[in-house]
Amino acid sequence: MAQFWKRLALGGLAALGLAVTAQAQTQPRNQITIMREIDSDRYDPHRSTALAAGEVLTMLSDTLVSIDFDMRTIRPGLAERWDVSPDGLTYTFHLRTDVTFCDGKPFTAADMAFSLNRWIGRTTPRVTSPVAWRAGNVKDIRATGPHTLVYELNEPFGELLSQLTLFFGSAIDSATVERLGDNFGVQGFNGTGPYCWGSWTPRNEMVLTRHPNYRWGPPVLENRGPAHVERIVWRVIPEAAARVAALQAGQADLTNYIPEAFWDAIRRVPTVTISQQPNYFWDFFMGFKVDKPVVSDVAIRRAVHMAVNREGLVRAVWSGHAEVARNIINPRAADYDAESDAMVPAFDQAAARRTLDEAGWRMGADGVRVKDGQRATFLLYGINTLVNQRSGEIIQQALRQVGIEMRVQLFDATVAWGRLATQEFDAFFLSYPYVSATDALSLYWHSRNRPTPNRMNWANPQTDAWLEGARRAIDPAERAQLAANIQRQLAQEAPWLTLARSQMLVFSGPRVTGARAHGLYGIGIYKGLDLRVR
Amino acid sequence: MSATVTTAAPEAPRRPSPIRMLMRDTGGAISLFFVLLIIAAALLAPWLAPRDPFETDLMSIMQPPSAEYWFGTDGQGRDILARMLHGLRVTLAMGLASLIAGGVLGALIGFLAAFYRRVDGLLMRLMDILLSFPAILFGLALAAIFGPGLTSVIIALSIATVPLMARIVRSSALVVMGLDYIEAARAIGMSDARLITRHLAPNCLSAIFVFSTLRLGQVILLGSALSFLGLGAQAPMAELGAMAAQGRNFLFIAPHISVIPSLGIFVIVLAFNLLGDALRDALDPRLRI
Amino acid sequence: MLRHALHRIGLAIPVLFGVLLIGFLLMQVVPTDPATVRAGPQATAEIVAAIRTELGLDEPIWVQFGIYLGRLAQGDLGVSIINNVPVTQELGATIGPTLELMFASLLWSIPTGIFLGTIAAYWRGSLLDKLIMAISVAGVSVPVFFLGLVLIWFVGFQWQLLPFTGRGGPLWSMDGIRALILPAVTLGGVLVGPVARMTRTAVVDTLSADHVRTARAKGLAEHLVVLRHALRNALIPVVTLIGLQIGFLLGGAVVTETIFSWPGVGRLAVGAILSADFPMAQGTIIVLSAGFILINLAVDLLYAVLDPRVRQS
Repeated sequence: MAQFWKRLALGGLAALGLAVTAQAQTQPRNQITIMREIDSDRYDPHRSTALAAGEVLTMLSDTLVSIDFDMRTIRPGLAERWDVSPDGLTYTFHLRTDVTFCDGKPFTAADMAFSLNRWIGRTTPRVTSPVAWRAGNVKDIRATGPHTLVYELNEPFGELLSQLTLFFGSAIDSATVERLGDNFGVQGFNGTGPYCWGSWTPRNEMVLTRHPNYRWGPPVLENRGPAHVERIVWRVIPEAAARVAALQAGQADLTNYIPEAFWDAIRRVPTVTISQQPNYFWDFFMGFKVDKPVVSDVAIRRAVHMAVNREGLVRAVWSGHAEVARNIINPRAADYDAESDAMVPAFDQAAARRTLDEAGWRMGADGVRVKDGQRATFLLYGINTLVNQRSGEIIQQALRQVGIEMRVQLFDATVAWGRLATQEFDAFFLSYPYVSATDALSLYWHSRNRPTPNRMNWANPQTDAWLEGARRAIDPAERAQLAANIQRQLAQEAPWLTLARSQMLVFSGPRVTGARAHGLYGIGIYKGLDLRVR
Repeated sequence: MSATVTTAAPEAPRRPSPIRMLMRDTGGAISLFFVLLIIAAALLAPWLAPRDPFETDLMSIMQPPSAEYWFGTDGQGRDILARMLHGLRVTLAMGLASLIAGGVLGALIGFLAAFYRRVDGLLMRLMDILLSFPAILFGLALAAIFGPGLTSVIIALSIATVPLMARIVRSSALVVMGLDYIEAARAIGMSDARLITRHLAPNCLSAIFVFSTLRLGQVILLGSALSFLGLGAQAPMAELGAMAAQGRNFLFIAPHISVIPSLGIFVIVLAFNLLGDALRDALDPRLRI
Repeated sequence: MLRHALHRIGLAIPVLFGVLLIGFLLMQVVPTDPATVRAGPQATAEIVAAIRTELGLDEPIWVQFGIYLGRLAQGDLGVSIINNVPVTQELGATIGPTLELMFASLLWSIPTGIFLGTIAAYWRGSLLDKLIMAISVAGVSVPVFFLGLVLIWFVGFQWQLLPFTGRGGPLWSMDGIRALILPAVTLGGVLVGPVARMTRTAVVDTLSADHVRTARAKGLAEHLVVLRHALRNALIPVVTLIGLQIGFLLGGAVVTETIFSWPGVGRLAVGAILSADFPMAQGTIIVLSAGFILINLAVDLLYAVLDPRVRQS
């Protein structure tokens, strides 16, 4: 036995010594590891809306059209060119003829028609995408030739092309969908993208391999294909600190999931390259269900606005690396209304107390105000992220100071979306990307979009009318005016509190070049065609 | 952990008071001092804490320890010292609650098993079965059933304490049962209940006491680990394990946020473990727990 | 010997049964209806009813338990609510890394613990003994996450010596070994203390035993007495106590896997519980418990083989 232990100890020591002295980091040569915080539940463009799905799906598949880094210019994608009828109702897309799926099958207009119809729930078995409305009010989508697709609308939709750049309109192979059934995007995938499905271990890593024949990358990127890199590994590392260290140590190459708290420190690291996308619209907010007790009172909602120091919040939670927000729309987005910005109640706790007093909310013995026997308390739901934990605790404390009690319940990402679709709560934290004011407003404020994404249960005929007008408007000035009307109305009614406008930074290590932040729908690296190992 | 009384302890001649024995041992005295200090700090937290543990000072985020903030501030600008003092209450309450709930039930089972030999086999097999599960698995299972939270943790730790206490009590009760005077008491017709409360229980007290002190340390360690995993105390409650978990996100920027609460747990558990060891030496050197 | 083994196995069976029962009950009390989940959000009431019948959910509860045991026997633990992946498939992928981590921690911590314990016993009463025992108490009192965080902070981050962001690759590759070191040091770190303590006690006990006295009387040098006689006999109780430490190790493994993003069963279990993925949570708990019971049984039997006295009693 002693002999055994001796040998064991010697062997262990030798292995330890070898391991420690070995050169740091050995990644397979032509592989790039991208780190992220969470995984998606599946990778089906018509069933997933999560960013975690989108960032992988843009690599696995393509869309009809693409969007440039200015977040305004529409460029070709699977469609080489397109014609729009004068009434704005019929779009004819002329598709590329050289496109193939990962399994080698040629891509045709019929495949594109199948994909788009699946998105809007017109295939069997029926798939209901929560974002089918993004495809517009569709009359019919059909292939009129092997490479011609006709997209017919019932009413004009000025934003159609920019919506079609999002991953929801990704082309997928109908045969693979049929073969995998419910497991499409779970056990396999077949798309036209620069990378193909390798393997997926949920909550751990997703391996993509290069699509060798890919030549049809969007002109937005320098490299049209095939990709320079053989393998992309999307690795889930839930701990922020671990991601920072892994990037510095070269154990992983790339990420846009670095909390703002680390930005100052990481800027000082010479081996890390940073790419920023200035045209990035992703806002964090707290919404109120306007038909629930307590928060149905405008006075309460306005008092919440006045109680929360959003400047301090941005300094604490985002380490100052986000824009302090007031209005619902980012000032750099199209159709932003500056006047409504000034109408949003500013931080002033004394004013908050006054507003509550005037509205009849009297301070109770336990420090929580009461009106007609109703305590000023409400329940907030959110996803369990560090930002939400910290914002929640700060806002909770700020509201306590003016006599409002906020109860916070955060759920793991996988459960949260289900809970956020219920009517159990009074307020919620979410964050979302948008392209323009009209895009952002029609997503959240049309009564038709209740209960999700219009979780505020905002049902106002005036808002609906303005929104529909803006959607149909051919004249940009008219559209801007209608969008401004809504922004002013919402600033008055205060149904949500915009907390911060985040910034998009992509960090890459010394092995990698070509990591340019894109930011469409929050996706850091768009398609990954320009990525290259040094 | 194994918990057995190795040798029969006959009615010992009167020894010096345990407290005096304990004080004679330097380690014991120091650990007793620390344990008393910890308990006092927890009891007096609202008066000792320099600030409201929930007060967020957005102008001083993640401040390292300083004269103003002895233990620094956390990511939301809250005073870590104040939060730790309040967290101490939660941590100790969690430990005591599960120790008392599990301990009382376990002691009862132990006495019953020792006294009524017919049920001994059955009860002890049941305890063996319970003992076959590590406490962490109870924690996971209860969090899965009732959802994460402090209640789940307390129930889990109570269940995990039952078989340990039952074994300790049974074996020390068996020793007492073998003594002549119990036979004598029985012979004169003393009732079972009276026998248990008057003679059995007092003679098992030292074993129970030693075990409880050591167990409290273990329970705190386990409970804080569950909170650290997100299965125990939930934000914004100040609990040491949960504080360490939240601070872990800022480990490389502000290590004190996670390191100081973790160190706090270490000190508390160490104090209870050392006190338990010293108590064992003082009360009954032959007890091995 | 055989009787002892049978007795031990006889004890393990109700325990295993208890585990399965708890797993079954877990699925009974959860707020989600498995039929609704399996049917998907667009299913009609008829489809849900059909699936209920198919899954046997309309049967009395003991029949359901029977069905459940039957499915378990075929290795069917159900499907994850989150991504429809069979639970057994995920368990199969995670059990290897967990065993790897546990084995690597035992590999260094037990020899270290025994070594320290023997030294302490040899020079019992000395300053060295006191020091080792102090380290050992500290080791029992230290939260695993504290050890992990400190190692990540210094070794991983400040000195950038070793990775700490999950499994680096298969065990036979350099990356695999490098990535394993910090988690294994963390997890093993909490074991050294108890093992050292147990070894010391056991060695001190055997040093006063008759045959050791005889050996000493024969003029054998003290270090030989300790190594040849005392340690060998002391190892027997140590083996059992190590078996009992497996539960401790398991708790540590869950935390260690979480801190180091190690793709093991413990991390899977915590993730499944936090995301209310009941079938997955149930599967992980069953596997962890069953593994723990089997290891304990193995240690028990090994103990009987090593020590003839146990066989007789």
